[in-house]
Amino acid sequence: MANLVSQQDQHLQELEKLAIHTTSQIQAYGMVLVLAEPDLSIVQTSTNCHSLLGISAQQLLGESLESIFDSFQIEPIKEQITAGNLDFINPTKLWARLDGDNYTVFDAVFHRNAENILILELEPTDSVDSISFLSFYHLAKVSINELGASASLEEFCQVIVKEVRQLTGFDRVMLYRFDQYNHGDVIAEDKRADLEPYLGLRYPESDIPQPARRLFIHNPIRLIPDAKAPVVELYPALHPSTEQPLDLTQSILRSASPCHLEYLHNMKVGASLTISLIKDGALWGLIACHHLTPKHVPYELRKACEFLGRVVFADLSAREDTQDYDYRMALKEIQTRLVDEMTTSPDFIEGLMADRQGLLDLTGAQGAALCFGDRLLLLGQTPSESEVKYLLQWLKGQALDDVFFTQSLASLYSDALGFKEVASGLIALPIAERNYLLWFRPEVLQTVNWGGDPSHAFEIVALNNQQVRLSPRKSFERWKETVRLNSLPWKPVEIRAALELKKAIVNIILRQADELAELARDLERSNADLKKFAYVASHDLQEPLNQVANYVQLLEMRYGEQLDEDAAEFINFAVDGVSLMQTLIDDVLAYSKVDVQNAELALTDSHQALDRALANLRRRILENQARITVDPLPAVMADGTQLMQVFQNLIGNALKFRTKTPPEIHVSAQRLDKAWLFSVQDNGIGIDPQFFDRIFVIFQRLHTRDEYSGTGMGLAICKKIIDGHRGQIWVESELGQGSTFFFTIPVGGAERDRRRV
Amino acid sequence: MTVAEYEQPKVILLVEDSKADIRLVQEVLKSSTVAHDLRVVRDGLAAMDYLYQRNDHLDAPRPNLIVLDLNLPKKDGREVLAEIKTNPDLKRIPVVVLTTSHHEEDIQCSYELHVNCYITKSRNLKDLFKLVQGIESFWLETVTLPHD
Repeated sequence: MANLVSQQDQHLQELEKLAIHTTSQIQAYGMVLVLAEPDLSIVQTSTNCHSLLGISAQQLLGESLESIFDSFQIEPIKEQITAGNLDFINPTKLWARLDGDNYTVFDAVFHRNAENILILELEPTDSVDSISFLSFYHLAKVSINELGASASLEEFCQVIVKEVRQLTGFDRVMLYRFDQYNHGDVIAEDKRADLEPYLGLRYPESDIPQPARRLFIHNPIRLIPDAKAPVVELYPALHPSTEQPLDLTQSILRSASPCHLEYLHNMKVGASLTISLIKDGALWGLIACHHLTPKHVPYELRKACEFLGRVVFADLSAREDTQDYDYRMALKEIQTRLVDEMTTSPDFIEGLMADRQGLLDLTGAQGAALCFGDRLLLLGQTPSESEVKYLLQWLKGQALDDVFFTQSLASLYSDALGFKEVASGLIALPIAERNYLLWFRPEVLQTVNWGGDPSHAFEIVALNNQQVRLSPRKSFERWKETVRLNSLPWKPVEIRAALELKKAIVNIILRQADELAELARDLERSNADLKKFAYVASHDLQEPLNQVANYVQLLEMRYGEQLDEDAAEFINFAVDGVSLMQTLIDDVLAYSKVDVQNAELALTDSHQALDRALANLRRRILENQARITVDPLPAVMADGTQLMQVFQNLIGNALKFRTKTPPEIHVSAQRLDKAWLFSVQDNGIGIDPQFFDRIFVIFQRLHTRDEYSGTGMGLAICKKIIDGHRGQIWVESELGQGSTFFFTIPVGGAERDRRRV
Repeated sequence: MTVAEYEQPKVILLVEDSKADIRLVQEVLKSSTVAHDLRVVRDGLAAMDYLYQRNDHLDAPRPNLIVLDLNLPKKDGREVLAEIKTNPDLKRIPVVVLTTSHHEEDIQCSYELHVNCYITKSRNLKDLFKLVQGIESFWLETVTLPHD
């Protein structure tokens, strides 16, 4: 199989080089005379001279032009040829006397080929008069008048094909346009009603191979009046001086290539006329006229068609530029709409998604994916979510510029073979790290309406004696090979639209970042104010409280004996109240001081932190006769003081919520995948599971102060500290079964960067 | 040490803006065994005037002990402390900071300014009694201070 393919490739490469312009054959509807200068003697002639002039080729060789045409016709021509003014003669009418008064009138065109050999082409004609300039003018005027300024490119082309068909009477006139790949789209057609329409079909590049294209450029109008007519040989076959076949590139009468004829036969075309549409030196398209039966178009009329082609095409190409401009404007409008949506929506991604069709139309894509951080949104025809995620991974590995685009993703990223139907074409817009906008286009084979079914429209590859002939069937296959795994190409204007959208998104992101920074500054300011407030409040609140406490006590000390039982109790209540207030202030201050932002994470020996907590609790541990056991504890990335505070609060709670049996508290730690898990286990009163979450909320208490003193802040402080370390804290317990508090400290410290784009 | 000197009541300068706290200290000192002469100023500037014997305090006796609150009007207690401790004439007078604040920074800052002792005011009256008596007995009886 591989061998076969490479053999075919080789043949095709040879085909590419085929010299179809050098030939010794012409079409039968005219004759060619190859002249020597300066005497204009005949050195080569087509062998049909006998049927047209009644003279054999052998007889003609060596004769001068005057021997066929009267010298009064030839003299002025000779002058112009000597002066190098072929344009002044072409075209001209020449009369050849056959016998007596019997004349044949020819349309005559002189030209020089690339080797500077002078060639005269003669075409017998019935009309003696030339079409006047006014007729040309009229023709062009009618066509152009029929077009309003606002007509679209397609409407315009439609008028051209209608006009050409009226002028020439062909069964079918089509206007092709070639794309970047030289595939041809039929964009306008005028035809006999009973024929099958070809409008909208696309023909592969290989239908008109490169050598043929070059000829179309040199020879803007080509007539094959009878696709089945036998070809006429030149005599002699080789030019006598060069001893080479003649270069007939600019020849009107040059014989069509066998391949082209085969193509016409396959399409059941008897006669064809092709007018080249050339823009900026390249073949833009063709006007192709087909007739089912042989059909001759007089030279004058062909010239009129060519003229029409040129005049209207100038306008047409201007219109095409306008259409490009219009497309650009249309994209601009979509872009403006998208940017508006993005800026007015609180979340610009939502804004983008609000106009899904617009987002696709912006680049003419069938699918798109938005990836912002962990968010992945798909719209239209896209690969699956996981395929897109892998694709993004791959993209991250590439050094991408502002924008990355390809029309054949699978040739760069083999996984794309799996989803070529939706994403052979890709535009990737990297916006910031982890942020991408992707557009997808399907494989071109999925999208295009092929001209004809290749499997029965064309013959099988034709090989004869090592000689390769271009076979339409094979060329189609080859074409399929070249476009397989490709999408339609992205137009520069579409890429530009994507880039401009990126600019807008970056601006929006930057602006939002600015706003966030402003907010952060405000927050920082108010945070600093709050801290100051907490400090002042705690101090300034404590003073009057102390004052109340002290004076109430002074009262009791000095006048205790004079007070009755009620008064003594009142004083106790006052003292208790003040004391609670003082504890509360201390705790609030402690809570507000757990500064997440400024926690100093360092490698901390958690055993030391625990020891400090135990030292602070020494008196209470003794009072409660608590037994505390500790497993080996690790060093962790933490703020030592805060970690100590966590231990102190948890062990303090274990001491506080004890049963009648002396407290037994066990502290241990174990390594998890990404964190250290600490536990503080007690044999206390336990906690009803329904309160598990509640206990970590600030000021939430489960008991009256008569039962257990405290402000309900200890665990809230613990939670705030553990949150600040990006860990978790929770409890497992049952009433009467003791409690185990767990908390985690991430290995390697907390993720300090909390910003989110 | 002469008898006269011994009998000389110790001068304590209390720098405190709260009337209630002043009264409380006075109350506590009533039960004192040390002969003392309590002088009170209500703000930082007045404290400096007293120590420099100027304005209203031309005849002010030099204190044997300064009890200083940190949060004072006009001139902050920290500034007063800093000025005393950098003045060669005054720096040897023992200064006890007695304050409600138990902020780490305040304690740190006071010791850096060479306070002799930092005491947090107790919330319990009995503790306060112990405290003031403790200050008296330690700084005025136990400690041997340099002579001027």
